[in-house]
Amino acid sequence: MSTPAMARRGFLKGALGIGALAAAGACAPGGGTSAAPSKLAKPTTTSSASAKGEITIWNRSGDLFKVFDAAIGKFREAYPGVKVNHQAVDIDAKLANTLISGTDVPDGSFWDDAKIGGQSEHLYDLTDLISPYRDKIAPYKLSVNTVGGKIYGVPWDLDPGLLWYREDILQDAGVDPAGISTYDDLLTAARTIKEKDPKTRPIHLDKNPFLGQLWLEMLANQQGTSLADAQGKLRLESAEYRRTLGWIQDAVKGELVTHAPYLEAADINTLDSGQQVFVPWAIWWSFAPQQLLKATKGKWRAAPLPAWTPGGARSGAMGGSSFIIPAKAKNPELAWLLYEFLCFTEPGYTAVYGPNSIYPGGLSTSVPSFSPALRPDKPLFKPIDALGGQDLWKVAVEAAATIPAAAPLPVWWAQSVDYLGDNTQRLIEGKMSPDDVIAESAKKIQRNLIDRS
Amino acid sequence: MAGLTATTARRAAIGSRRLPRLSPYLFIAPFFVVFAAFGVYPLMYALRLSFTRWRGAGEATWVGVGNYVYLLTNPDFWASLGNSAVMWLLIVPIQVVAGLGAAVLLANARLRLRGLFRVAFIAPFVTPLVAMAQVWIVVFDEDYGLVNHVLGLVGLPAVGWLTSTAWAKPTLALLFLWKTTGFAIIILLAGLQAVPGAVYEAASIDGASRWRQFWSLTVPLVRRSIAFLVVVQTLAVFQMFAEPYVVTEGGPYGSTTTAGLYLYEHISASDLGTGAANSFLLVLLVFGLSLGAVRLLRPKEEVS
Repeated sequence: MSTPAMARRGFLKGALGIGALAAAGACAPGGGTSAAPSKLAKPTTTSSASAKGEITIWNRSGDLFKVFDAAIGKFREAYPGVKVNHQAVDIDAKLANTLISGTDVPDGSFWDDAKIGGQSEHLYDLTDLISPYRDKIAPYKLSVNTVGGKIYGVPWDLDPGLLWYREDILQDAGVDPAGISTYDDLLTAARTIKEKDPKTRPIHLDKNPFLGQLWLEMLANQQGTSLADAQGKLRLESAEYRRTLGWIQDAVKGELVTHAPYLEAADINTLDSGQQVFVPWAIWWSFAPQQLLKATKGKWRAAPLPAWTPGGARSGAMGGSSFIIPAKAKNPELAWLLYEFLCFTEPGYTAVYGPNSIYPGGLSTSVPSFSPALRPDKPLFKPIDALGGQDLWKVAVEAAATIPAAAPLPVWWAQSVDYLGDNTQRLIEGKMSPDDVIAESAKKIQRNLIDRS
Repeated sequence: MAGLTATTARRAAIGSRRLPRLSPYLFIAPFFVVFAAFGVYPLMYALRLSFTRWRGAGEATWVGVGNYVYLLTNPDFWASLGNSAVMWLLIVPIQVVAGLGAAVLLANARLRLRGLFRVAFIAPFVTPLVAMAQVWIVVFDEDYGLVNHVLGLVGLPAVGWLTSTAWAKPTLALLFLWKTTGFAIIILLAGLQAVPGAVYEAASIDGASRWRQFWSLTVPLVRRSIAFLVVVQTLAVFQMFAEPYVVTEGGPYGSTTTAGLYLYEHISASDLGTGAANSFLLVLLVFGLSLGAVRLLRPKEEVS
C-alpha cells in the first residue's frame, strides 16, 4: 500500500518542470504586443445607410454618460445600421489594463488627453482620417493627441482657463474687471480688495497637489510651454515657469491667497463667505456657482485669464479628453463614424453641448475643440442664471481661440505630481522658493521619471 | 501463444497496480493546475517583468537588476518603508495589548451584555472600509470636522489631522486600529477559549492572583495566537493601501505613502517593471519580518 518515494518525487519534479517550462516560455512581457501601431483607413462604406454592424463604446458614468447616450441616439438616426453598445465604465481604472491585456477591448473610448500619449502603441493611428479636419481643430488639442507626428485621439473638448470673479465685490471696491489684463493687474486688484476688507484673501490657490500642478500647466500653456517638449525633454528650467512660480510667491507674501482644496468644505465656505474673490480656473468651475455655491449663486462672473505679458494669450487649457480607437477594436471603422459624427458634424456636437433633458441650458463645462462649432454668435449652451445671466459661451470661445499649442503629455506626467505638485504646495506654504521648486523638481523628475521612461 | 498471454496478463497486472498509484495525483491535479495558472505563472511572469523596463506597450527592455538598484537607491522607496514601519509601531503593539484586554473581558462568562460587546467590537471589521474612510475624512476635517469642533469648545487650536505630516500617520493608524481590532479580538478570544479552565482553577487553589494568572498563564498560553496575529497584521500594515488611497492619497508630502501605496503608484503609472521589482522587495521584507516575529514569539518549549 505504501507509495514509492521516487514516484512522489517524480510527480513533483514533473509538475515543477512543466510549470518552469511554461513560465520560461510564456512569461515574456510585451511579447504579444505589436510594436508597430495600425493606421486606420477611411471606412469603405460610401453612405450612412450601408454602414452596418455593432460597436462597443466605453464612456464615463454619471450625467455625461446620459448626455452621450442621447447623442448616440442621434447618431443612430443617421446610421441606422450601426448598433452601439454604450457602456458606463471606470475608464481610469480599466482602460489601460484592457489595452495591455488585449482582451474584451472596446471599439472606442473616451479618455483623458493626459493618458493617450503613454498608450499610443495600443491605439489606431488616426492621422489620415483626421486630416480633412486638421485645420479646424484647436492647435492645443491636436498637439496633445500627436505622438511622433501621428494623431492617436479624436480631439473632443477644449477646457479654456478663465478668471472667475465676484462682480459685487469688485464693484464695491471700484475695480473694473475689464482692467485686469495682466497677472500684475490681478495682484493690484487683489490688494485693492484686501485694503477695503482686510479679512479677504482674494485669490484661490489649490491645495490638491494634482490639481495644483494641472493648474500650473494651464498657466504654462498660456505662455506657450509645458512640462516636457514633443521629444519628452524637460522644460521646467525656463523663464515661463520661473515667472509663474514667482507670481505665486508674490501673491502668497502679499497675503492675497486662500489655499484650499478644490470645492471641498473649506473652499466652498470661503467662496460663499466672500473671502475668495478671484478663481483663475478652467471653464469647468462653472459647475460650482450652478450647483454648490448657495449664498453667492448669481454673483460670479467669468472673464478671460489675464495675460502674462501685455498682449499675450488670454487663456490656457486645463484638462480635457478625446476619443480613442484601440488597435484591437473589432469594428474600428464604425467607431470612427461615431466619433466623426460627434466631433465634426453639427448635429453631433449640438446633441452633446446643446440643451438636452439632462442639462436644459446645455453642457457648459467645456467647449468643442472643432472651430466651426465655436461661433460666438451661435452659442451651443445658453446664458447661465447662476452667473447673473452672463453669456459664458461668448467668453469661453473667445478665450479658447487664444490657447497656444502644446506638446503631448508625457507618460510620467501623473507621477511628476509627487515632485512638482508637492513642491508647488511647499511654495504656497512658504517653505520653498521658486528656484528651489524648479531645481528640486527638475532633478527628481529627470532622475526618477525621464531617465527611466 | 501461451507466452504472449502471460506477457499481456503481466502488463495488465502492472497497469492495474499503476492506476491506483496515479489516481491520488489525478485527484489533486486540479488544484495544481489552478495553482500553476493563477499562482506560479503570474509569479514567474512578475519575476521576469521585474528585470525589464516595460510600460505596457511595445517590447520590454531587459535591464537586469536595474529596477532593484533604482529602488534600493531611491529615497522615496525607503521613505515608503519608513512610513509603513512607523504605522506598524503605531498599530501592532497597541492592537495586541488592546485586543488581548478585550478578549480577556469577553471570555469572562460573568460579563453582562457580552453578546452586545462582541457585536460592537466586530462591527467595524465587517463594515466596508471605504465607507469608514469617508467618515474619517468628515470627522477629522481640519476646518469642519467634529474632532476639531470639540477641541475648539475647550479652547484648543484646530489640528491638521489629515493635512499635516505630523498627524496624518497617527490618524490613519487610528482608522486601521478601529477597522481591524475586531479581527484581533476574534483571534485572541479563540486562543483564550482553548485554554483549559482547570489550569486557572489550579492556579487559584495555589493562591495566584488574577494579575499573576494573566501574566503567568494567559499570556504564555496564547503566545501562538499572538504570534499569528503579529504576522498577519505585519503583512496587512506593509500592504496597507486602501486607507491612505482613499483618505489622504498618500499625502501630505508623501507622509502616508505606505509601501503598498508606493508599489501601486508604479503600476498605475504603467511603470510595470519597477512595480514588479518593488513587489518582490516587499515580499522579501515581509517574509523576513514575519519570520522574525514567529521566532521571537515562539513558545519556550519549541525554542528549547
